[in-house]
Amino acid sequence: MLKTIIAREFLDNILNLRFIIGLVLCIIITIACIVILTHDYQQKITDYNLRINAEDDFISNYATSFVNLDFSSYTSLHRIIHPQKPPERFRPLIIGIPGKEELESFDDNPLPVIFPPFDFLFIVTIIMSLLAILFSHDTITGERQSGTLRLAISNSISRTTILFGKFIGGSASLLIPFILALLVGVIYVSVNPSIKWDGSAWAEFGLLTAASITFITLFYLLGLMVSTFSRYSSTSILNCLFLWVLLILVIPNVCPYISAQLYRIPSIQETKRKERETELLSIEVGKKLMKENVKQYRIKYGTLFAEFESMEFGGISSFFLGSNPSPEHREAARQRAEADPDFKVMVDAFRKEPIKVIREVERIRNEFDNRVWKDLYRKAAVQTKLAKNLACISPLANFVYVARDLTGTGLRSLKYFEKTQAEYKGQLRSYVRFKMREERKKNTKVRRESLVDFSDRPRFVFKEEALKDKLIEVLPYWGILVLFNVVFFVAAFAVFMRYDVR
Amino acid sequence: MLKSIIRKEILHNLLSYKFSIITILSTILILVSIFVMYRDYCLALDNYEILQQETEGAIAVIRPTPLSIFANGLEENLCRSYEPGFVGSIDVSSKQQSVNDLFKLFTTPDLLYVVKVILSLCAMLFAFDIICGEKEIGTLRQSLSNSLKRPILIFGKWAGGFTSFILPFFIAVLLGTIFVTLSPTLDMNPKNWLKLGLFLLSSVVYLAVFFSLGLLISCLTHRSSTSLVFSLFVWAILVFLIPNLGNILAHQSAKIPTVQNLELKRWQSGYKISFERDKQEDSKDDNSKSQEILRRVERIKLEREKLTEEYRNRLNSLIRTSKNITRFSPAAAFACLATDITGTGMLEERRLKRAVVEYMDFIYEDWDWGDDEKNNPPAFSYQRSSIREVLGPEGLSSCLILILFNILFLTGAHVAFLRYDVR
Repeated sequence: MLKTIIAREFLDNILNLRFIIGLVLCIIITIACIVILTHDYQQKITDYNLRINAEDDFISNYATSFVNLDFSSYTSLHRIIHPQKPPERFRPLIIGIPGKEELESFDDNPLPVIFPPFDFLFIVTIIMSLLAILFSHDTITGERQSGTLRLAISNSISRTTILFGKFIGGSASLLIPFILALLVGVIYVSVNPSIKWDGSAWAEFGLLTAASITFITLFYLLGLMVSTFSRYSSTSILNCLFLWVLLILVIPNVCPYISAQLYRIPSIQETKRKERETELLSIEVGKKLMKENVKQYRIKYGTLFAEFESMEFGGISSFFLGSNPSPEHREAARQRAEADPDFKVMVDAFRKEPIKVIREVERIRNEFDNRVWKDLYRKAAVQTKLAKNLACISPLANFVYVARDLTGTGLRSLKYFEKTQAEYKGQLRSYVRFKMREERKKNTKVRRESLVDFSDRPRFVFKEEALKDKLIEVLPYWGILVLFNVVFFVAAFAVFMRYDVR
Repeated sequence: MLKSIIRKEILHNLLSYKFSIITILSTILILVSIFVMYRDYCLALDNYEILQQETEGAIAVIRPTPLSIFANGLEENLCRSYEPGFVGSIDVSSKQQSVNDLFKLFTTPDLLYVVKVILSLCAMLFAFDIICGEKEIGTLRQSLSNSLKRPILIFGKWAGGFTSFILPFFIAVLLGTIFVTLSPTLDMNPKNWLKLGLFLLSSVVYLAVFFSLGLLISCLTHRSSTSLVFSLFVWAILVFLIPNLGNILAHQSAKIPTVQNLELKRWQSGYKISFERDKQEDSKDDNSKSQEILRRVERIKLEREKLTEEYRNRLNSLIRTSKNITRFSPAAAFACLATDITGTGMLEERRLKRAVVEYMDFIYEDWDWGDDEKNNPPAFSYQRSSIREVLGPEGLSSCLILILFNILFLTGAHVAFLRYDVR
């Protein structure tokens, strides 16, 4: 009997106008979306390659192990290399979240703020959820109004079988437009030469499809549940749309703002202001320390140090000393040191002083970083977590977390990129140290400001996070989606058991 | 007769379940939205006060507008601070929201969003069964069997239905506005009140478009269920699909490098300039070498300016194309118009950035910092667009598009109803 009910429900739905509209809309929108986004993806790949080439070209012409930028701070190679993030491999389906660089540029594009992106997530969360509600809102009420429900119940079919059959038949007919549209998309992706998906990408795609089906059936069950609570289809659709608006359009968007009110974090501007004050303070401390050092050397070395001072400290470049590199003074100091061992001892000892001062200045700044910035980011993480958990009331939020984190287009992917970037920069630092040692062995005149061939440096290659790690992250949210399904079905079942079919 | 029809339609709606549920929904949403956005405005104001305390250096920052409570648009972008950066670039401060990553995933729930997305859906739900619903229950046949003219009937239904729909919206907005204006932090001058009035007027015109569209669909169908299905799909296409797809399509026609590409190249040229200047310091005595380095620096500067200018031209062209394509949707036309009216739209963003570039050019090229670098430049001053500027060619065209949509749908409904089979 279950089979008959499933077949009847399925046939009833696919012969309906809403099925035709749903099918046409799904296929057109999905294809349009994938074709346009694939074209966009190709442009992004070209842009990424241009950036990589520009970086290579730049490094081969301008890289030194250290450089003096703005005459105030020394920067090493790892700070002038900008590891580039390739476009997400799921870009033909889902548009990733913009990174810090895009958001904090003077020339940022304002369009995505006014017109949010349109992608696979939009199709599932808006179009498919709406379609699911349209399919299911009159599953029970429609049959009651037309009198067929009374007839069906008067036979020896249990209510459980009817409800279960309606759920399976209805969901199957609803998923046909979605699966068909997705299939067309998959064919397009697999024949497109610019998209190279490996095994893990296809596995992620499979999981994304499964998560989407969980989300769509959830809304089908919501409609079914509301239908069992209502007597008329017109009331049922209004209640369904009311819930849809709340779950899809209101709760996820309001939650970040509510969490920002519930858990306040220090202002970024205030923190930056304090940072600037600390920077000025640290510079003052640095200058003061350097003055004290000079005073002590004057006392200790007397005329020898006065001679050294007249050579402008042998061309030692130090912001805190107020001097810039000068080859003549450096040469004079070198010759003088060669001739007099006492002078050499003094120069060698003094050369270390600016480094000590810089360390003290960095200690002050790091202390501030640890105290204020880390505190801000810790509190921001708590606020984000609170918003994330609050938004879990909405199935849309759960689905967005699952889909984005699975496909590497979400917040987790940005964090993962930052992590790999930091690891790469660590590698680069070790490489520079090793390289400079080697260069100095070959040529003693090589200084840290000298142009060096860094073409054999390690290159940044962004590898996607392991699927296992992604799954561990998304499973709780996927679990919530399944739980929503169970709750809605159980509620529909409980109400339908007592439903007055007359 | 018209009066009776309007009265009957209003009464019929007021007593319906649909009216209760939509009124509850819109009132809750509007009040929550205004409250949430008001708190957000207070935070933005606090940040502005902090930035104002910066007395050293050249900093361009503008005061948040209280109208951002109603249509936030690009306000977060506009209220960042702009400062001279690394070798001729402009540094932009982080947004307060940038530390909470969840803001990147979801949309701002301001009144603009409520009207554009949720109330437009409610308008369609109010109108989808105006004609076909009456036909199903048989009252339409009865009404037309009298000497009642069809144009009067449809106009009466439109006027009565729309009045009963728009009433809860006005009450909720009024309550929300009273709540925020009682707060001492809110500085609403007469200009802002006028702009708020214009925003509400444009909202009414926008909602009328969807109400008329619902009526048109109702006149084209014979069953409420069919009308509902069509209404919902047309709504999804007009509100979500065309604006978002149009934006992506514009990207395909107006090719533009990514902002990462621009920033990378700009940073590199800044570095090159700094690097060459360092070399010039070392070779002060060698005049020909020094001159050669200076020439190189000038060339790099020129390349950089060209790169930036080309990018900005392309971005402006992209914005224009995107606006033109998306205007086929009333939702996009309304979003552009409403954000421009409240001074948080793309018009304001382009205007502010032009002013910031001019200010920074003045700082870089003309301002004499003096020896001690404590000779502070004049403060950045900026006035948001006046109503005259907002209602310039762009604003007027958006207004006209909305009115045109209204006329088109209403005429369509009228024509369809004249031929409607009421049996």
